[in-house]
Amino acid sequence: MVDYATILAGFGDAFTPFNLMFVLFGVLLGQFVGAVPGIGPIMAMAIAIPFTFGLDPLPAIAFLVGVNKGGLVGGAVPAILMNTPGTPDAAATALDGHPLAKQGKPLKATKMALFSSVTGDLFSDIVLITVSAPLAIMALKMGPIEVVALMIFAFSILAGLIGNSLIKGIIAAALGLLVASVGQDPEHYTPRLIFGYWDLFDGLPLPSVAIGMLAISEILRRMSLAHGNVKSGIITDGSQTPEDRRVSWAEYWACRYTMLRGATIGTILGALPGIGSTAAAFMSYAMTKAGSKDPTSFGKGNLQGIAASESANSAVVGANLIPLLTLGIPGSVGAALIISAFMIHGMQPGPLLFEQQGRLVYGLFGAMLMANFVNLWVGQLGLRFWTKVVSAPESIIFSAALLLCIVGVSMATSGLFGVAIMLIFAIVGYLMSTFGYSLVIFIIAFFLGPRFEKSIAQSLALTNGDLTQMLKSPVAVALLVLSVVSFVYFLRKNAQAAALETKM
Amino acid sequence: MGGDHVVSADRISGIFFLLLGLAMYFVVNPAHIEAVEGGSLNPKTVPDIISLILALCGGLLVLKPTTHQVANLQNILRTAGYSLLLVAGLFAMSRFGFEYVAPLLAFAIMWFIGERRPFWLAFGAVGMPALIWFLVTQALGRALP
Repeated sequence: MVDYATILAGFGDAFTPFNLMFVLFGVLLGQFVGAVPGIGPIMAMAIAIPFTFGLDPLPAIAFLVGVNKGGLVGGAVPAILMNTPGTPDAAATALDGHPLAKQGKPLKATKMALFSSVTGDLFSDIVLITVSAPLAIMALKMGPIEVVALMIFAFSILAGLIGNSLIKGIIAAALGLLVASVGQDPEHYTPRLIFGYWDLFDGLPLPSVAIGMLAISEILRRMSLAHGNVKSGIITDGSQTPEDRRVSWAEYWACRYTMLRGATIGTILGALPGIGSTAAAFMSYAMTKAGSKDPTSFGKGNLQGIAASESANSAVVGANLIPLLTLGIPGSVGAALIISAFMIHGMQPGPLLFEQQGRLVYGLFGAMLMANFVNLWVGQLGLRFWTKVVSAPESIIFSAALLLCIVGVSMATSGLFGVAIMLIFAIVGYLMSTFGYSLVIFIIAFFLGPRFEKSIAQSLALTNGDLTQMLKSPVAVALLVLSVVSFVYFLRKNAQAAALETKM
Repeated sequence: MGGDHVVSADRISGIFFLLLGLAMYFVVNPAHIEAVEGGSLNPKTVPDIISLILALCGGLLVLKPTTHQVANLQNILRTAGYSLLLVAGLFAMSRFGFEYVAPLLAFAIMWFIGERRPFWLAFGAVGMPALIWFLVTQALGRALP
């Protein structure tokens, strides 16, 4: 489907000094914001997307890939130094990273996190580059009927895996779909639920909804927690021996199997929608500890613990793009943001992407590989500096982030109407997370909603309104059976969890 | 927070979604979705099905709540305060522009969080808006709100 000339041209497009500069900017920004507790790469990407509008697609996407990858490395810094993970997936890193820092070896801990993060990330990128094109060929054989079945399957998995309650997961997905139905309907193009606001005719702007739900609602939550308690910086000990400041080749090599296991777990979990890097990090950590000859050393500053969690959580990032590029289904919030950036820059994720914009896809792969090496290089030089970043006061960070969100969304939506929508969804997002509803499911459902409805309309047209015709497609039947199985499985799992809570 | 409060949190949101679903199905969708003849999928069909799912799941949540705990009321009220501040800032921005309102908004946010150090207050209220102004208008050549 994709010839070698396209692949080579794509990689050639990526490996230019101009794109390298944007990857470098992205990695620098990602590591910087990742090191700030409470910001993290997702929020950084949400804020950064509108600022890439003026750029060509490849440098813009290269920049965002850099932000995402850099954020994972930066997220380990506050986890290790302050036991305050910058990102949730770095929480497992803190288990051994923070004790090692307390032993006077903060740089050794952060460097081990950097090396294992880059190793895991590179592994999953290679898997992504290898498997995504063949998977896209298979996906191309799917028609609207199979797409509807696939989306039902994706929703059944998402609802069960992400929320702590299946009912709440379904509510979050339904709300996302309902909000997605605002604007013109996909078949007749008549206005729907716009309440007289013609600005809504093209639907609710994705940057407003995504930034409001993911960035502003989180900033509001953290501002209320920080109220009257501005955190002061931490002081790192400067009197460390050279051995305590670096990771030797022997120490790195001793962790090779741990990193390979972590990268494999992260890649497999990352390819499934909705599981996320936090689960991968903790699973890898638990398996490494269980398989260790000295499990009691874990939690006390064991380098294997850091390698296990960082290689796994970083491997999720590349693998997250497998369902996104091949099927057009984002597997995580980060992937949902990347998909919105793709669309802003004229890319339509899905199986046709490889056929229609193969060169750009391989340019993206090239940028991802480049970002790994830049991440390693910037991390080596910047870790000393990022350890100072964690001491920046939250008051500055929150006010600056809010102003950047306002400016970014106003640029993305050409006015303050989009900013007003952003604020509304910030409040909705805050209330949803306060009451225990998954924002991830909401955003993914919001994103998939129009395509889901269009596929249903196309399926109905193809089958003359007789949806039992779906049963003639073996792929659709298999996916629907899998949906029922996962639905029943999560219902039983929730019932067992509820019974356990009642006993306690 | 006691057990009664824990249960009531899910019941409150369950009642909200039950009422929202019913209101959408019976009131909002009929009034705000244009009826269309023909075609394979009526514009009202999907929103109607989703509204009923919302109402059904809201009802189920009222009957079978989880043990999810809600953050304390004081934090929610503080968030409401910050939200009002942002709404006021946005309104002022639509009247007077980003250049005049952003420093005041940044200062107010920092002050309410509890920042009292003059250097950081000055940096947040003057330095950050100036940096954003430079980035957007000079480096990117775009207009500020």
